[in-house]
Amino acid sequence: MRKLILFFFCISVFTLSCKKGFLEEKPKGSVTPQEFYKTGSDLNLASIALYNNLNAAFNQSDGFAPLWGGDDVTVVRSGNKETWSDYDIFQPVSSNQGANYFWNSLYTTIKSCNALLNNYEGATEATEQQRKQAAGQAYFIRAVSYFFLTRVWGPLPLVTDTKVDFNITLSTPEDVYKLIVSDLQMAENLLPNQWDGERRQNGIDVAPTAGSAKAVLANVYLTMAGWPVKQNQYYALSAQKAKEVIDNKATWGYELMPSFASLWNEAGNFNHETIFGAFYNANVPDAWGNNSGNARPNSFQPEEEGGWGDGYGEINFYKKFPPGPRKDATYQTQYYVNNDAANAVDWQHTLNKHPYIQKYRFDAYYNPVTHANDNWIDSRTVYLMRYAEVLLTYAEAESMSGAADATAYDAINQVRQRAGLNNLIPGLSQNAFRDSVIAERAWEFAGVEPGGARWFDLIRTETVAKANLDRDPSEEKINKMPDDAAHTFYWAPYPYQDQQLNPNLHH
Amino acid sequence: MKTIVMLVFSLFAAHYCCYAQNTIVTGQIIDEQNNLPMPGASVKVKGATTGTSTNAEGRFSISAPSNGTLIFSFVGYIAKDVQVNNRSVINETLMAEAGALGDVLIIGYGTQRKKDLTGSITSLTPDSYKDQPVLNASAALQGRVAGLEVTNTSGAPGSEPKIHIRGANSINSSNSPLYVVDGIALFSLLLQDINVNDIQSMEVLKDASATAIYGSRGANGVILITTQKGKQGDIQIDYNGFLRVNHPMNKYKLRSGVDFAREANHIVGSDVFPDPAAFAGKSTDWQDLIFQNGVTQSHQLSISGGTEKSRYYISGYYVDQSGLLINTGQNKYALRANLESKISKKASFYLGLLAGRTNSNNNGDIGGKGNPVTGGLAWAPTEKVYDSLKSYNRNSVSPIWANPYMILKERNNQAFSNSALLNGKLTYKFNNWLSLDVLLGLNVNSTKLAYLNNDWISLGNPGSGQSQRESYTFQNSNILTFHKNFNQKHDLTIVALEEASTNKYTAFNALGSGLSSTSNGYYNLGLNASQSISSSYTNWALLSFMGRVLYSYKDKYLLAATFRADGSSKFQTTSNKWGYFPSVGIGWRLSDEDFVKSGNLFSNLKLRSSFGITGSQAIDPYSSLGLLTPVQYSFGTSTLSQGYMQGSPESPNLKWETTHQFDLGLDMGFWNNRINVTFDYYNKTTKDLLLNTPVAGYNGGGIFLQNIGKVSNKGIELAVEITPVETNDFTWTTTFNAARNRNKVLNLGKDSVLFRNDFVGQGFINTNIQVVKVGESLGTFFLIPWTGIYNSDDPALGYKAGDNRYEDVNGDGQIDFADRIIKGSATPKILMGWNNSFKYKNVELNIFFQAALGNKIFNATYAIIAAPNSDVYYPTLAGSVNYWSSQNTGAAWADPASKTGRNFTESTQYLQDGSYCRLKNLSVSYYLHKKISGVDASLTLSAQNVFTITKYKGFDPEASSTPSGSDASAGIDFGAYPSPKTISVGLHIGF
Repeated sequence: MRKLILFFFCISVFTLSCKKGFLEEKPKGSVTPQEFYKTGSDLNLASIALYNNLNAAFNQSDGFAPLWGGDDVTVVRSGNKETWSDYDIFQPVSSNQGANYFWNSLYTTIKSCNALLNNYEGATEATEQQRKQAAGQAYFIRAVSYFFLTRVWGPLPLVTDTKVDFNITLSTPEDVYKLIVSDLQMAENLLPNQWDGERRQNGIDVAPTAGSAKAVLANVYLTMAGWPVKQNQYYALSAQKAKEVIDNKATWGYELMPSFASLWNEAGNFNHETIFGAFYNANVPDAWGNNSGNARPNSFQPEEEGGWGDGYGEINFYKKFPPGPRKDATYQTQYYVNNDAANAVDWQHTLNKHPYIQKYRFDAYYNPVTHANDNWIDSRTVYLMRYAEVLLTYAEAESMSGAADATAYDAINQVRQRAGLNNLIPGLSQNAFRDSVIAERAWEFAGVEPGGARWFDLIRTETVAKANLDRDPSEEKINKMPDDAAHTFYWAPYPYQDQQLNPNLHH
Repeated sequence: MKTIVMLVFSLFAAHYCCYAQNTIVTGQIIDEQNNLPMPGASVKVKGATTGTSTNAEGRFSISAPSNGTLIFSFVGYIAKDVQVNNRSVINETLMAEAGALGDVLIIGYGTQRKKDLTGSITSLTPDSYKDQPVLNASAALQGRVAGLEVTNTSGAPGSEPKIHIRGANSINSSNSPLYVVDGIALFSLLLQDINVNDIQSMEVLKDASATAIYGSRGANGVILITTQKGKQGDIQIDYNGFLRVNHPMNKYKLRSGVDFAREANHIVGSDVFPDPAAFAGKSTDWQDLIFQNGVTQSHQLSISGGTEKSRYYISGYYVDQSGLLINTGQNKYALRANLESKISKKASFYLGLLAGRTNSNNNGDIGGKGNPVTGGLAWAPTEKVYDSLKSYNRNSVSPIWANPYMILKERNNQAFSNSALLNGKLTYKFNNWLSLDVLLGLNVNSTKLAYLNNDWISLGNPGSGQSQRESYTFQNSNILTFHKNFNQKHDLTIVALEEASTNKYTAFNALGSGLSSTSNGYYNLGLNASQSISSSYTNWALLSFMGRVLYSYKDKYLLAATFRADGSSKFQTTSNKWGYFPSVGIGWRLSDEDFVKSGNLFSNLKLRSSFGITGSQAIDPYSSLGLLTPVQYSFGTSTLSQGYMQGSPESPNLKWETTHQFDLGLDMGFWNNRINVTFDYYNKTTKDLLLNTPVAGYNGGGIFLQNIGKVSNKGIELAVEITPVETNDFTWTTTFNAARNRNKVLNLGKDSVLFRNDFVGQGFINTNIQVVKVGESLGTFFLIPWTGIYNSDDPALGYKAGDNRYEDVNGDGQIDFADRIIKGSATPKILMGWNNSFKYKNVELNIFFQAALGNKIFNATYAIIAAPNSDVYYPTLAGSVNYWSSQNTGAAWADPASKTGRNFTESTQYLQDGSYCRLKNLSVSYYLHKKISGVDASLTLSAQNVFTITKYKGFDPEASSTPSGSDASAGIDFGAYPSPKTISVGLHIGF
């Protein structure tokens, strides 16, 4: 009997490991690429990742470091501000962590877009509409990502698949723009005019619509008319696209917010002026991920109020900025030393003696009584395209492709009126009108607002040196003045880590 | 002939004991461990001079009084007294005694006499560390085994130390050895889950001849742990306990409030502090606030005993350990029961149970730049702890991190862990040369983690969360053992094994933020306004077959040959799943040769050599499948939606990482084995590394797992045991071990260098400061050379007098990360341990030194408080007050107010020598040997980490912020948790 028990015991133990598939991997809690991209739900999950990825690029001031080359912001030259200062005084290095963060975040987004675009057609269990919408979002977000990348670095590794390639060569800006345009044209046709479900919040489309694609395309064309592509025919295309958005703005619900300040207060996070943005919320359960703005309020907060002062307004730019409600909303006027309202000073008496950017600071965690930030993270929407920019794009493109007609004047004047400024004097020359638009853009998007950033205007109009020459003597010394003819310092150095892996990455 | 002898013998016996009635007793003596008959064992009648020894089959026959007692003994085994009790047949087993030469060692799936070993195995018994109060096995191992490196990278109670045998083979995978407890390989449990007081012996298997039987898990060496077993006889009760006090080993010298405020004004160039002198005598000592002198207690009670048929060992254990940082600590309870019983003449079973509970309070690594250790050093001495009564001063003028005292006090992170190790073994002896062992083992860990972030920890957005993790490892080993001795010349043992192991891991997390009330702690997660749940699952399986042949001829010529085949679920194709791991070892006992015997120099001399292949599959399950990465997006609301993005590329052709090892060893004994010397040379090459290669940022970054590269470890090991003095009253024994290992990366495929990303980012360390480079060892630093302070302007590079001077290595006219060079490594070159025990009558003095030499540490903790940087605006390090000015041109530090200068954290300025020699234990013990009614007692007063000789400028050269499982990234101290200096009182009572 004992032997029998022993025998059965041994047999049962041996057979445990002889089950078929004992050595096969069955990842029950995870998804393999082979079983993904099949259903409409898969496509939805894949497109949600695109927003998460893109959000990383804009959730902290680090990524905007190359924009410090503009004449709107500056920063003190000291050890811990090198990330921004290196671009401000024109001595960028390939190891700049801010620029490299921007590069990595945008290319991660592109990888996710590529994965979706290479696979969506095989999602036979999804409906035609689900496939179209997924692809539309991926085309749009890939275009936006490449648009930012090529404006910072110029020639790029133009990656459209998910293969690992250590030998890829650089594509010219012309080729990059060709892909951006074709992506946006695809997006224009694939995206809906209005979303429902989670992609539409508070009556606002958080996800891009056909209108977003048209608006961005108008801006892309305008940029292609300037340096480095510099093809005049794109002005007309730009004007035409912008006009399409303006004429049909009701289709997508676009309008200018009544006041400039209301764009920046807490309630303004969802508004009808947003054509496309990166949306955040500090109250998500995992607050320090890509879903909230990390340390952005502190970056622009003056040191005496507990901030880090990573950037603040350049003095001459501030002085030129026309007064009015827009200026009041853009810059901080009173500074509470040690968060004490009784001890308020003006910008001339701050530690760094500069006017600070106010518009990124109004958030649920901003304490108006003490000017303290109660949290390092915030919920501010980062505008990547506002309706104001569509108006200004139209004004510039229309005038440059022919002449500044009444519609062009009307477009810029809508923006000026809201800023509390008079209408432009009619009858300006083509160049004078264009300069007025560029100046208007400077005030409207002052303080490195990434969508309409001053820096991008300066490089496309080849006026980097010209703008930076007007620099207050008290500002940090510029290391080497860029050359607008030779375009020195127009492109950021490629990230060191990628250069190490692929020696083709050099200008 | 035999019967005649017996007859004559009996007559003689009868003659001696004419008044007692003698009977002839026959029987067989069997080795307890391997169930093999024991030839040559001695059988004596108690109180008489008569005796005999067993024959080749372990059988004996002796005449003894029917009411007498027989004594069975064998060298290296525990002698046994057995009453005859009118029996004529007595079969007995003898158990190997650990300790002396001639031991039988556990070698994995069996035992072997130490003198027959061909492999490199070091055995450690509690006797060698009895004078040092230890809380876990790693502390017992540290410094006591040549070639075994133990580094306490964190001083947090219950943290996992870094343990390596003969250097690091893998770049990405873990280099920790395999731990096998009573035949069960640990996976769900850690070494520290095993109660150190239950350990009877630890065998450290180092070379391939010893480890190849563990095939795919043997490449990093194996540590076999045998727990205590009951012994036949009266009940034995033992109590072991100690009480100890922790102190910080040392502290940083920091600035006074006055100095701090003065320099802040200098850096900014205006009055940050209008009146620095006002801080005189009002500085806050943050170091004092974050460290505590905690108390640790450990108690263990065991009861053991048994009869001829059944034996038991039962123990209970309680440890309450407080951490060096305030509000951190751990307590543990565990129970062990080891039961053995004979079911029949041929069958017996063994059952081992360990059940433990560990509660950890705030023991996890906080990590990041602003962790409490860096915070405690960097926080301005001018700041107060509280703003007002009970309200913390949250923010400082410098650094940007929150109040470290507040973080430590208000933190609420708990871990509740239940662990169990269950093993059952059924042994069936078919006859005296063939037996079967069926082993079933289970190791389980189930841990609940819970946290509450109150308003102090998460301002304006309190939150709470819980997670549950379960790891469950099942093992079945079926071992068939054949042993036969032919003609007393050929001794042959053959083992055949079939083994299956499988692990399941599941995790479940629920967390939230926007907690409406913290009064329910983390028990009411529903109070979180915004909630998130997640869960995960992994599973792996391993199927193995192994065969081993041990052969010795005349006990002089030794051979061991093994072959193991392992199939792993972690690789995808059938051909890649299976790995084959052979080994062969040979030995020659020269001391048994006449030409050595005649020299009378050696009491023991053995030459041994081995070669073999072992493997590693130490990657996570599903690593090669290119799984999608889950991400979430909230569309601007506080509710997250799930998404999936493409993860790392899949690697369907992934296969085993293999290590080839050659070993040459020499064992020497002199002066009747009062001097024992063991010397080993080894040469290991690991190839087809399971390597995470970086993917370019433009391809989305991340890693690509491939079989790429080759790493070599070559080294020598020396272990010496000497008993210089041995008299009745006084004994001095000293043991010394040293090992030198040379670790070198031989090949990395198409790359010559791989960059390590640890600690890169967050604004302080902005590029890789460590690389893996062909021709260098793992843990190599890659830094900009700092050459001091400029005393005159350098127009070429744009620096002025008083600025940091760096070498423009590539000569491009600017200092940047392209100027980094290879500079030193975090891997120690030499490890040493020296133990001395002086015994005078009942008093014993123990002095134990331990050293690691030749490694460098990047002291980021020091760097972040030495010069202004992204996080710390105003330095706090006392020494850096000595900065350059036109009046102080010989200064050690750059002018922190310079606008032209740069302070590269990523420079050699912060690389420090990590070599150290430490008095690990100093103790005095007093022994009472059965003086009071048979009670064995001892009292030990001791101190650990008494002093450290080192040039390192941080708290503790052992402490590191890099994970203990990593060797390519190692030796970076970024607020690492230091180990304490301790003073202990220990007590042992046994009766």
